[in-house]
Amino acid sequence: MSVSLATSHSPLPEIAVQHQDATVSPFPVKCQIRNVGFHYGKFHALKNVSLPLHDRRVTAFIGPSGCGKSTLLRILNRIYELYPNQTASGEVLVDGQNILSPGFDLNLVRAKIGMVFQKPTPFPMSIHDNITFGIKLYERLPRSELDDRVESALRHAALWDEVKDKLRQSGLGLSGGQQQRLCIARAIAVQPEILLLDEPASALDPISTQRIEELIAELKSDYCIAIVTHNMQQAARSSDYTAFMYLGELVEFDETEKIFTHPREKRTEDYITGRFG
Amino acid sequence: MQLYTRRRIGNYVVVGLSLAATAFGLLFLVFVLGTLLKNGIGALGPTLFTQATPPPGSQGGLINAIFGSVAMTLIATLIGTPTGILAGTFLAEYAHGSRLGEIVRFINDILLSAPSIIIGLFVYSVLVVPMGHFSAWAGSVALAIIMIPVVVRTTEDMLNLVPNSLREAATALGAPKWKIVVTVTYRAAVQGMLTGVLLAVARISGETAPLLFTALNNQFWSADFNRPMANLPVVIFQFAMSPYADWQTLAWAGALLITVAILFLNVGARFFASWSGLQK
Amino acid sequence: MAAEMEMVAIPRAAVQRRPAGGTGDAIFHGLTLIFAVLVLLILGGVIVSLVYGALPALRKFSFGFIVNGAWNPVTDNFGALAPIYGTLVTSLIAMLIGIPVAFGVALFITELCPKWLRRPLGTMIELLAAIPSIIYGIWGLFVLAPFIQQYIEPALIGSLGKIPGFGILFAGPPLGIGVLTAGFILAIMVLPFIASVMRDVFETVPPMLKESAYGIGATTTEVVTRVVLPYTRIGVVGGILLGLGRALGETMAVTFVIGNSHHVNPSILQPGTTISAALANEFTEAVGDIYQSSLIALGFILFIITFIVLAAAKLMLLRLQKSAGAAA
Repeated sequence: MSVSLATSHSPLPEIAVQHQDATVSPFPVKCQIRNVGFHYGKFHALKNVSLPLHDRRVTAFIGPSGCGKSTLLRILNRIYELYPNQTASGEVLVDGQNILSPGFDLNLVRAKIGMVFQKPTPFPMSIHDNITFGIKLYERLPRSELDDRVESALRHAALWDEVKDKLRQSGLGLSGGQQQRLCIARAIAVQPEILLLDEPASALDPISTQRIEELIAELKSDYCIAIVTHNMQQAARSSDYTAFMYLGELVEFDETEKIFTHPREKRTEDYITGRFG
Repeated sequence: MQLYTRRRIGNYVVVGLSLAATAFGLLFLVFVLGTLLKNGIGALGPTLFTQATPPPGSQGGLINAIFGSVAMTLIATLIGTPTGILAGTFLAEYAHGSRLGEIVRFINDILLSAPSIIIGLFVYSVLVVPMGHFSAWAGSVALAIIMIPVVVRTTEDMLNLVPNSLREAATALGAPKWKIVVTVTYRAAVQGMLTGVLLAVARISGETAPLLFTALNNQFWSADFNRPMANLPVVIFQFAMSPYADWQTLAWAGALLITVAILFLNVGARFFASWSGLQK
Repeated sequence: MAAEMEMVAIPRAAVQRRPAGGTGDAIFHGLTLIFAVLVLLILGGVIVSLVYGALPALRKFSFGFIVNGAWNPVTDNFGALAPIYGTLVTSLIAMLIGIPVAFGVALFITELCPKWLRRPLGTMIELLAAIPSIIYGIWGLFVLAPFIQQYIEPALIGSLGKIPGFGILFAGPPLGIGVLTAGFILAIMVLPFIASVMRDVFETVPPMLKESAYGIGATTTEVVTRVVLPYTRIGVVGGILLGLGRALGETMAVTFVIGNSHHVNPSILQPGTTISAALANEFTEAVGDIYQSSLIALGFILFIITFIVLAAAKLMLLRLQKSAGAAA
């Protein structure tokens, strides 16, 4: 199934969808981004972006620096609202509900949508407390259940074996790759439904990067994953869908294989073949 | 050739003078500390810590003054630290770019460098006069007011050093702002904030002027905060300016005690800061 | 509208979530706001209490208070001239001695001294600043004043005191206690503050700038005076003003050595008084409303003077930050 931007004469660019059959795909759309725009003060950073994020699939965002991919990601959990003069327009529908609407409970949005940042950001507390920080925000659990959740999260993040004996030690004592996996564990410990990864491996060495990629391949069976990366090969390797963005616009969105072998837009082809970057 | 030689000589002169200036500063530091040691060490002894200040012409100690200084500094710290930390938190976390924040910061810096005797006058008129008498409460409040701007400043600076990425990570998990500040940001900045508090305590330990019109002094042992209380700085003031040799010796001993305490706090604060920095 | 993909929420283990406290945010924000406003209220309170306390004296003497040289508790005739004069002169002496020395120290630390010496010297400056005023006072009374009385003052009287006209500044018997000694102690006390600000500001000069000057053969002095100083002049002035604010308000060190005499004497070797010294010496024994009110009026005048100086320093340093931010 492919999706392309059909610019029609209606005010909203529409997403023309072609089905092979009309039954529900095993990977339905978890999050629908619709006509999203963004302003940093007067600067118009994102222009009318629309695309779907499929559940249990990895959607990669690629594009040159400044194209708006990180900006788009940060709209999805409304983290831009920490800063003044940053405004978003349009709709982001998660399970049918627009999370950008002002009345929507911000904290619940962020409970459902987890984020991992470029630079590992362990909190200045023990590994155990790092993981339970998020859990304790929402659930009142007995000690034993908390410990179970910690173990489960660390196992899912492929970190358990390395830290199981030092759960009480500070998270800051881990290596960069381990810290990033800790952040991933922390994000999945609150059992989100969508995971946003903003260049999660760009600050890591190649071996750690590989482990993170393996992790993502495992995680996608449980979560809807959106990953921003400036590493095209990573996008080609790890993702199922790819969105190419340029100067704040969504240029092309398609299954990864199609994007990298038969891109429809010239700009996509130029970027992928390295004519600009 | 003449110009070049002149420039070179001029340079040597200035360099020499700056060397002399540094030596000058060093000289006075050593001079002051040395005199303190020389004159104060003689009076150090067990009686210093067991007896109260004596009437002129007899032997005694400084225990009431030591107690008073420690007690009032402690109360001042208990008042000043949370106040300063919360106000500093406001400036760092809630007041970015706001007019109110700019005004508070400006006023705080004025208070920071304001003459401490003026603070003493202020507390005199708002506490001593209504209460009808001098008291250690008034003294503690005066010291707290001197301490607050220092703590505000260091708290704000330390909180601003915490990278935004940490706040974003906590926000992304859905934590409300107050929880982020209290459980993440404070924890990340705690060493710097504590160093700031220690330095503020060192600052108020030696302050005399604010105590002159508030806690005044007390010849006898007293632990009653509602009455004037003895304290080291005012005792030193009174005894040193007097013509009695016994009193003057005690004054030197008190001066030595204060200086040792302050140097200890200062060096300790710096040591603490670098040690905890190494921990990371 | 084109048919959109059906959105089916994949059933997951139902997570019971309670929203994290929103009222907590309002409470905490309010708490920090209250204490921040408290800072404002303290300053406001200081101003109000000073004005209120000074009113009786100001009403009685009005503006003549500032130029009245008398100070008579018996006849209730008080004037601020002597304390203001003493405050200004001692601070002036402190600046005249302190600024060049501070500059020398800052120059030495930033340009001349070997790397391993930098840290200890920095600590030395901080220790000088940490020593409380009363220690300087007691040291000044017992060590410095006699020294000045024995060596410095006779030398000054014998040399500069002999110059006609100008010599009047150095007239009189060598007492040790007096305006000069007080100014000297103040110089030692403000020197670490000014030196520390100067050093911090000097270190912000981009090395490339200095290197290009050294590269064309400039001497250290020339680099500092023609490149570093102009680059940092706003910060330097701000630091000097900060030191001045400190000197104006210093109490205990000055009280010990100034002699507490309410006379305006052109000779700096003679005793005098400053506003803070007068307050320290006389306030607790001031009997009578006008006496007390006059002292508070003195405090008010001191507050205004230091406020102006500190505000000017702050504005300068703010401008420096803004231009540095713009350049960055």
